[in-house]
Amino acid sequence: MSASVAVVDAPNLAGKRRAFALAEDRVGHYPEFRDFFERTFDLKRVGLARPGYVAAPSGRTYELVFLGRSGEPFPSGIEIYAIVDALEPLDDAVLDRDLWAILRWMIAGVGAPWTVEDLDATGRLYRIPATQSPLLP
Amino acid sequence: MHYVDEGSGDPVVLLHGNPTWGFLYREVIPPLVQAGYRVIVPDMIGFGLSEKPTREHAHTLDGHSANLVSLVRQLDLDRVTLVCHDWGGPTGLSCALSNLDRMRALVIMSTWAWPTPPAEFHTRIFPWRTMHAPLVGPYLLGNHSALAGRGIYLSVVEREKFRQRAQAAYEAVLPDPASRLLTWAWPRWIPLDDQARAYERFVWLEQELSRCKLPSIIIWGREDEVFDAQTFAARFKRMLPHAEGPHLVTGRHFLQEDSGPEIAALVVDFLRRLSGRGE
Repeated sequence: MSASVAVVDAPNLAGKRRAFALAEDRVGHYPEFRDFFERTFDLKRVGLARPGYVAAPSGRTYELVFLGRSGEPFPSGIEIYAIVDALEPLDDAVLDRDLWAILRWMIAGVGAPWTVEDLDATGRLYRIPATQSPLLP
Repeated sequence: MHYVDEGSGDPVVLLHGNPTWGFLYREVIPPLVQAGYRVIVPDMIGFGLSEKPTREHAHTLDGHSANLVSLVRQLDLDRVTLVCHDWGGPTGLSCALSNLDRMRALVIMSTWAWPTPPAEFHTRIFPWRTMHAPLVGPYLLGNHSALAGRGIYLSVVEREKFRQRAQAAYEAVLPDPASRLLTWAWPRWIPLDDQARAYERFVWLEQELSRCKLPSIIIWGREDEVFDAQTFAARFKRMLPHAEGPHLVTGRHFLQEDSGPEIAALVVDFLRRLSGRGE
């Protein structure tokens, strides 16, 4: 298990299901966030053709589905799904830690003035359980 | 839209903001009713016991203002005293300034009504902009209910009393991530530059409020460190030089939690003085 998140190839989905994890209707609220996803997943070229995938610290793969909206730059929204064994329940604690790791990876990728240190401080201010993780500095 | 409607007499409409609901006014309502007013306390669509849309694009500043206009017209309210707090300010004042013939007076508490940006706090990456950043907002404020669960607590003076007596009521009406959508949608409606969605509305608000002659009173939390009295209450006073106050009471941003009865007394006294002058 590592604290890092990495972009990975599409996994084999046989025997798996997509479990909803998190959704964002306005990924371009701060345009640098939309730019990060466009850059990271080559979305200018790929468009709606396929989702993106990342591996999270737990080893689980997450699917990022990019949404288009008339009149707005692409992507306008994102849905994140955990790829899990089809008939197995989702471990909420693992999901929560993975999502936090994905947010930290995103903030690091978006870059200044956004910082992982500010994200961690915000998480601690609101007592987010994942900020207590031993994987975090 | 859910609303409380108690008492009879000239209507006093109490407006809350993010992430609260009519419960915020529980200690303000009884003294106003006893003093002979009809007290109406709507829960903003998206909060409290009102409907909660689950798509962010369902929420707009003008749409929420129009919801209040609709309430005022459907109840055929006249001689309204509008009590504004937080987002109840921009929405309520938009309603008041576009329906002046139905208004009697304004009560202004810990809010703003001008463009870019309301406070230096709102320009900071930590914690304000990070809290509602893309994906972070739905995670922190949605999955973890950061505003109702911790944000209000941090913005009252008597925190232990609040935790014991009130916090559960704020959390209970936002029971799951989808129900909390407006808690991260509202922060995104605060203009940070002249390209922001609500910029023109706030320009209009500032212009119209500066021309407004409605009797007004400004009430502020002495300990409010986000919408601090020195900056915000003073700016409202410059816009509305005829306004009474600012009256400072014990309170941070959610001053009703610390000073509900004192706020009610100030409003009752203010309205009695208006009646004494035949207004």
